[in-house]
Amino acid sequence: MARKIEFDPEDEEFFGKVGSFGVPKFDNEMHGGVPRGFMMVAFTDTGSGSELFAKQFTSPAEEAENTLYISTNEGQQEIIRIFQKYDWPLDISVRTIGEEYNSTVLERELLASRYRLEGFRLDDIRRLAQTRFVDDNTQDYLTEVTNEVMALGPYFRAVIDSLDFFLQREDPARVIAMVRMLQAHVQLNRGLLLVSVSTNGLDPTVKQELASIADMVLSFQVRTIGTDFETSMIVSKFRNAPENLKILVFRVTPEEGITPETVERIA
Amino acid sequence: MQSTSNYTRDRCVTGIHGLDEILRGGIPHGSTVLAAGTCGSGKTTLAMEFLVRGALAKFPESCAHFTATEPSIKLLENIRQYAFFDMKMVDSGKINVFDMDVLYSWLGLDKASFDLDDVHALIKAIINIVHEIGATRLVIDSVTTLCYKIKSEQLIRDFLFTLGKKLASLGCTTILISEITSATENAHWSSFGVEEAIADGIIVMGDVERMGHLLRFLQVVKMRGTSHSRAKHAIELTPLGVMLTPMLKWGAQHDKTNKVGG
Repeated sequence: MARKIEFDPEDEEFFGKVGSFGVPKFDNEMHGGVPRGFMMVAFTDTGSGSELFAKQFTSPAEEAENTLYISTNEGQQEIIRIFQKYDWPLDISVRTIGEEYNSTVLERELLASRYRLEGFRLDDIRRLAQTRFVDDNTQDYLTEVTNEVMALGPYFRAVIDSLDFFLQREDPARVIAMVRMLQAHVQLNRGLLLVSVSTNGLDPTVKQELASIADMVLSFQVRTIGTDFETSMIVSKFRNAPENLKILVFRVTPEEGITPETVERIA
Repeated sequence: MQSTSNYTRDRCVTGIHGLDEILRGGIPHGSTVLAAGTCGSGKTTLAMEFLVRGALAKFPESCAHFTATEPSIKLLENIRQYAFFDMKMVDSGKINVFDMDVLYSWLGLDKASFDLDDVHALIKAIINIVHEIGATRLVIDSVTTLCYKIKSEQLIRDFLFTLGKKLASLGCTTILISEITSATENAHWSSFGVEEAIADGIIVMGDVERMGHLLRFLQVVKMRGTSHSRAKHAIELTPLGVMLTPMLKWGAQHDKTNKVGG
């Protein structure tokens, strides 16, 4: 049986039963926000605004030290720029896996490719002859990310944007096992976790599995209407609240970021 | 022009006590020799002494050793007990010891199996190293471990053939160590069956039981470009190096285990 966490009554009052999505109009549409203990999976189209939504989701940052944003695609500077642009809190923890990967693994691969193409120079050979051990710089990012989220305490808020990085490099079964573990941690700690994954090339069985684990499933879509793009988010699963299933068209405004259009269109 | 009957190939004098006599002066220069032996038969020591004697020659040769079976740290620690070896030869770069694991890692080859591109990259890297440091003596310990990563027999053949050809063109005499499980007359001298066909020479090393004692032996089975003794020789691994002495035919009938003639 899972261990029980004793919650501080003051915390219970402060955090409440639901948390904000960071998008007030979306909170209203979802009857107050997202229930504490929910893990959300967002299936995303390219250019649908999901990266911005992922950042915006961390913006309520009830406890900055208990809020974590993990990006596998963007760099620190770009993330900071967006947070500054929308005046979102900058004191949350940010981890940029893609950047780390580029600076370690890709750098090594680049060097290997140089050696393979151009060969070793005499000083390379001298260094090679004096090197007795292989640098163990293989990093298990999946385990690291899992541990990092699991280290967060009650009422945490975290985002993993996106799972694509892991699904491209790891056995999908391992990634799904990690998501299951995280979901249990979220539930136990009344946390909030948003995990995004691109729909492009996503195996339908993996998609199905992720959707079944998640408490809430969002889809970010983009389509062209005439010469315009229309972005929408579809809530296709909301555990125990089917009344929240919705299709919401949204815009990105300079003041509020992702902003759903709440006026219903005719036809 | 030298007449055919008087022609002798340049020799790489091994400097190993007794081996040059067996080979009538040494290994023909630029040859690729397979040193096939059972575990503990003295292959690594023989190969290391081959390099040391080259580095200590009147005209010192540059030497390279690629170790795949054990980490270089362990290899060097084990070889330090021999008086012929001096760590300064490694520190000064006279003998260059390369860990295959490190080489694989540097080339992005730290994977379970090699494809054609990987094999070519590996050949290119070894040739590149031999060329850059001007190595005239090379040991790969062991070619068995290295070839385990090459899944197709055809690729192994290509790898060994191309490597041997290119090393010969650089004037590098090479010892490829091969691990075998049995050194009897019916045994294969290689693990993959292709090494022995491609090598210019085969030196077999193993154990033979004599009067309750396990003796190490060495036998030159094949050596292109020279006449040589095919007799079995007993090996003694002394602090001064490998010592070879002809094995007496006496006692052959006692050797029931390995069915060897003396």
